[in-house]
Amino acid sequence: MASIQFILDIFKLSIKALTERRTRAMLTIIGIAIGPLALVMISSVIDGYGDYVISQIEGLGQNAIILFPESNYRFTQKDLDAIRALPHVKRAEPFYSIQAQVRVGTQTRIIFVYAIPIDVVFEAIKGLEIFKGYTPSDTEYLKALVGYKIAYDDNNNQVYDLGDVITITYIRSSSGRQEIKRASVSIAGILKEFGGAFILSPDTTIFLPLQAGQRILGLSDWSGIFVLVDSSTYVTDVMEKLRQMFGNSATIVSFQSIANIANSIIGAMNFISFSASLSAFAVAVAGVAATMITSVIERTREIGVLKALGFTDFQVLLMILMESVAMSLIGGAIGIALGIVGAHMLASRGFEIRATAQAIMVIKASPKITVTGISRAVLLTIFVGVLGGIFPAYRASKILPAIALRYE
Amino acid sequence: MVQVLRIMLREVVVLEDVVKIYKVGSIVTQALRGVSLKIYEGEFIAIMGPSGSGKTTLLNMIGLLDRPTTGRIYIDGVEVSKLGSREIAKIRNLKIGFVFQFFNLINRLTVLENIEMPLIPRGIPRLERVERAKEALLLAGGELSWLPKKPLQLSGGQQQRVAIARAIVGKPALLLADEPTGNLDRASAKIVIQTFLELNKKGVTIAMVTHDPELANCTQKIYVIRDGMIVGVKEPEKSKCILYE
Repeated sequence: MASIQFILDIFKLSIKALTERRTRAMLTIIGIAIGPLALVMISSVIDGYGDYVISQIEGLGQNAIILFPESNYRFTQKDLDAIRALPHVKRAEPFYSIQAQVRVGTQTRIIFVYAIPIDVVFEAIKGLEIFKGYTPSDTEYLKALVGYKIAYDDNNNQVYDLGDVITITYIRSSSGRQEIKRASVSIAGILKEFGGAFILSPDTTIFLPLQAGQRILGLSDWSGIFVLVDSSTYVTDVMEKLRQMFGNSATIVSFQSIANIANSIIGAMNFISFSASLSAFAVAVAGVAATMITSVIERTREIGVLKALGFTDFQVLLMILMESVAMSLIGGAIGIALGIVGAHMLASRGFEIRATAQAIMVIKASPKITVTGISRAVLLTIFVGVLGGIFPAYRASKILPAIALRYE
Repeated sequence: MVQVLRIMLREVVVLEDVVKIYKVGSIVTQALRGVSLKIYEGEFIAIMGPSGSGKTTLLNMIGLLDRPTTGRIYIDGVEVSKLGSREIAKIRNLKIGFVFQFFNLINRLTVLENIEMPLIPRGIPRLERVERAKEALLLAGGELSWLPKKPLQLSGGQQQRVAIARAIVGKPALLLADEPTGNLDRASAKIVIQTFLELNKKGVTIAMVTHDPELANCTQKIYVIRDGMIVGVKEPEKSKCILYE
């Protein structure tokens, strides 16, 4: 009980000591605040965007694998059958894909066109739903299921309705020549807005039955094979078997592995931002130490008086340390508060991803402010106070009272 | 008769052959050369001597603010020469009160906060501290209206009474004063010495360093120190006390 009373008393005395040297303390506090500000602001934005990206990738199907042929290789029906015969492979479907342009009102929009058994898309992407119309069957190769942002413009005005014909403009390479091609399909269904726009954006995609790849788009070779595995736990095993099967002839990716890579990138970014913030904390330690050592020198006589009155070396050490910790806590509180505000401001600007000169995707995610993140910032600021204050406090505790009382 | 009475009295301070040598680089200064003295409970003594004679060093030894190079010091029967800094700080806090020439009050704190300062290391609750601070200030001849003020809002004499209140708030066995009137005008000096006499009447043991014979003559015994040695013990001439002019 007496110890608690003592701690409360010296905390109060510490605050009084800081208010006496207000300007110096404020400048030091500002120096301390930069570290937690940077840490909270940058980390929470990275975490927020990281979570967004991961959730987007994971939403695209955790049990899906896609194979893309290398330039010198063509997938065949034999390959497809071999894949289908692999254990834990639920489905394997070939697809054709192109990047194209469509007119949406007054705008030209960059879109993706997939010719694929469309039901496999619904099986892979959870949350994908039809807003209007229906999914064209495999034989209806002149009909399309279009993404929400193709049927509706940015102001949510409907541009295309069911039964409307939409013209796709794309570039096709054949025999080393590139030619602009046009294809028209009729809209059988419109997808509900999916949201997000990372890696695969259903909102700006036209899905056609598989046959349309050859018959409408005039493509001769499959762009890839889409594989669905029984469960996400088998993805790694199946990928390994596919690697053994195709070697360097195909690139094999899974959304799960992309999510893992994204996780690693986010982890690395977090580490870099944390390291950068640590340098701000290191500068703060030097600032606190400079302020406290000056304070101790100025108060040598006062420290002598305290010792004459019966304060032990440890109590003097604790009192001086309390001042630096108090400064740190104030600086930490200011830094964290500004960091939260800054994170929201930074995140609200959105993050631009430029796929091509025309295709710009802006993703927006809320900063992820967590108890762990805040606690980390608080602990680091306390550490700044302790580290910056420990030497001056130790020095103060070792001042000999008889000498201190003579100090001018 | 005096000797018999002293045997009955408790020895608050005992110094046995205390030597203090300061070394600064190659310069060696012997500030105390084998000082022995005893201060009994309820005594009011003065230590007099010219500048540089070792008065303050002697007071620092009695007050445990410095350690002797050789010799032994007993406070309330406990030999303190070999105690650790923590134990010594505890003895200073519980048994000794200090009054300094320049008051040494903490100017950013109020009078109340200054007075209650020695009670903080003991972990005494605030309400009790306030009561004891009020009691000590009244005992030191101060006024309760000073409590919320800052020291610099008071005169020198008033500040010294606050310093005395701070020194006695912990109810020490021994009050040590180093030139307590050295920074005061004559009127204030009279008030301070009057306060000391009243405290002494109430049983507080006091040792005061001074170079002013008018103050020393108000005490019960005068130790004369020169070149680090006690060269004599004088009976004060009460008629020459500052209060009898």
